[in-house]
Amino acid sequence: MIEVQHLTKRYGPFTAVDDVSFRVEKGEILGFLGPNGAGKTTTMRVLTGYMPATDGKAIVAGFDLFEKPIEAKERIGYLPETPPLYPEMTVREYLNFCARLRLGQLSKAERQQRVETAMRKTHVDDMANRHCGKLSKGYKQRVGLSQALLHDPEVLILDEPTAGLDPKQIMETRDLIRGLGGDHTIILSTHILPEVAQTCHRVVIINKGRVVAVDTPENLTHQLKGSATLYVQVEADGDAGAALAAVPGVRVVTVADQHARMTGFEIEAEPNVDVRREVARAVVDRGWGLLELRPNRLSLEEIFLQLTTEEQRDQAAATVVDAPATQEVANG
Amino acid sequence: MGNRVRNISAIAGKEMRVYFGSPIAWVMMGLFALIFGYFYVAYVDLVASAAMRAQFGGGPVKQNVNNDLIRPLLQNASVIILFLVPMVTMRTYSEEKRSGTIELLLTSPITDLDIVLGKFFGAIGLYLGLLAVTAVYVGMLFLYSRPEITPLISGYLGLLLLGGCFVAIGLFVSSLTKNQMVAGVGTFVVLLLLWIINWMADSAGPWLGEIMRYLSITEHFDDFGKGVIDTKHLVFYLSVIVFGLFLTLKSVDSERWRG
Repeated sequence: MIEVQHLTKRYGPFTAVDDVSFRVEKGEILGFLGPNGAGKTTTMRVLTGYMPATDGKAIVAGFDLFEKPIEAKERIGYLPETPPLYPEMTVREYLNFCARLRLGQLSKAERQQRVETAMRKTHVDDMANRHCGKLSKGYKQRVGLSQALLHDPEVLILDEPTAGLDPKQIMETRDLIRGLGGDHTIILSTHILPEVAQTCHRVVIINKGRVVAVDTPENLTHQLKGSATLYVQVEADGDAGAALAAVPGVRVVTVADQHARMTGFEIEAEPNVDVRREVARAVVDRGWGLLELRPNRLSLEEIFLQLTTEEQRDQAAATVVDAPATQEVANG
Repeated sequence: MGNRVRNISAIAGKEMRVYFGSPIAWVMMGLFALIFGYFYVAYVDLVASAAMRAQFGGGPVKQNVNNDLIRPLLQNASVIILFLVPMVTMRTYSEEKRSGTIELLLTSPITDLDIVLGKFFGAIGLYLGLLAVTAVYVGMLFLYSRPEITPLISGYLGLLLLGGCFVAIGLFVSSLTKNQMVAGVGTFVVLLLLWIINWMADSAGPWLGEIMRYLSITEHFDDFGKGVIDTKHLVFYLSVIVFGLFLTLKSVDSERWRG
């Protein structure tokens, strides 16, 4: 439904999006994750036809955005970072205007029908006659969402749809988005990681304009470190560490915590080897107590930080190496 | 084609809604009525006292409402418009860029040309409102005199074309900046320059002087007030409008690339 191939966007010498490629299947909800300035908004702006890319291709709903922008735009609903409202207009007037832009071919009565439906869906119908400029941030956000849904588009692109909402509204909006998946193909960007885990089928993590990971939230949390680690807590008489290290497939065993006779171990196995059964047997066969055995999942936050800071750490390391050299020059 | 008209009218309607939904339109029409009204009373007084003098002097009263009253009035209206149009157009693009609503327009399934033309006709709509204010005053003259219709119509056509030029230039300047004040002042300066460019024409040499005279927006307005519709002037005004809109279109397009 959405296909992005080698998308690059430069602003003068600055590269905001660098060779980004990904696909979104019909009915899928894709989460777009990344720190501020990673290129999320720029990618979305290219995908909505707001700005052309410097290089690469974007196909939305079967239409190339650069060759057939009008046809593609007809099938996209877009909620920008700041809801694009006219403060002088009432909510209903505003949505009627949006309907004229997008659904001009319908009769006035049909358009009004669509406007009422969209307002109900996003729970803004109670503010229909209020001026957009006088709405709270949460309402503004939802009127913006209403505008994006108005024409029942095949593709929805939402730039931080839950920003500025209170917890109850966030829940409602997430439910709404989840409900829209299936019929609609959705890309949403967010800072909030649990949101991705709760609403998205797949995640694209982007940093400094590059895609650093594409996967389901589950897979990302399961197996990102290359080899998964296990956490085992044992009540042992003997040297449990040595016994665990002897299990075939186990690479490294480290003591994670220790309370009296209970010891917690972190076990790193060979890549793609599941050692859980063997580890359990090794403990139970010796007559020790197996108190806990679980895969040591990284939370999405940890993965995110790991992926997006790796590069910075490399750079930091590089500067450390450089530092003495420059000092020498200075001293010399 | 049907789509195009629909899209343009949607944008123009929104522009009008924003003008009349905020104090802009009303304040502007009020100010215009006040200043134009002042000129009106001044000229009527002038004509009336001239008539009085002529009567006491015993001479024949040779007065022409069109020449003595309506023509200078429309001439004055064009000066007031020079001050007011920048206030009408300054927000057209600047405000949309500042508030982010430009994203709504540029991601809608309409062309950039639809947007430019919609904004143009929206501003012209408000401008027609201003002209309607003058029509009330001029209409009152019909109660007490018999002005000729033809120069009146050509005069208003001239005002409409003149306003069209101002609006097209204002749209372009507004598309260059996020700041309304900069757009307003910038437009005013450009319009003023085009207004007074012929002042130096006599000392600028034969061909440069000719160009300066040609570029002067006033130079072309005179004939309309006299009741003459000259193709030369029509072509000039229409070219300025088309050129202004073309520049706006290019400016919006390049803005897309720069982001």
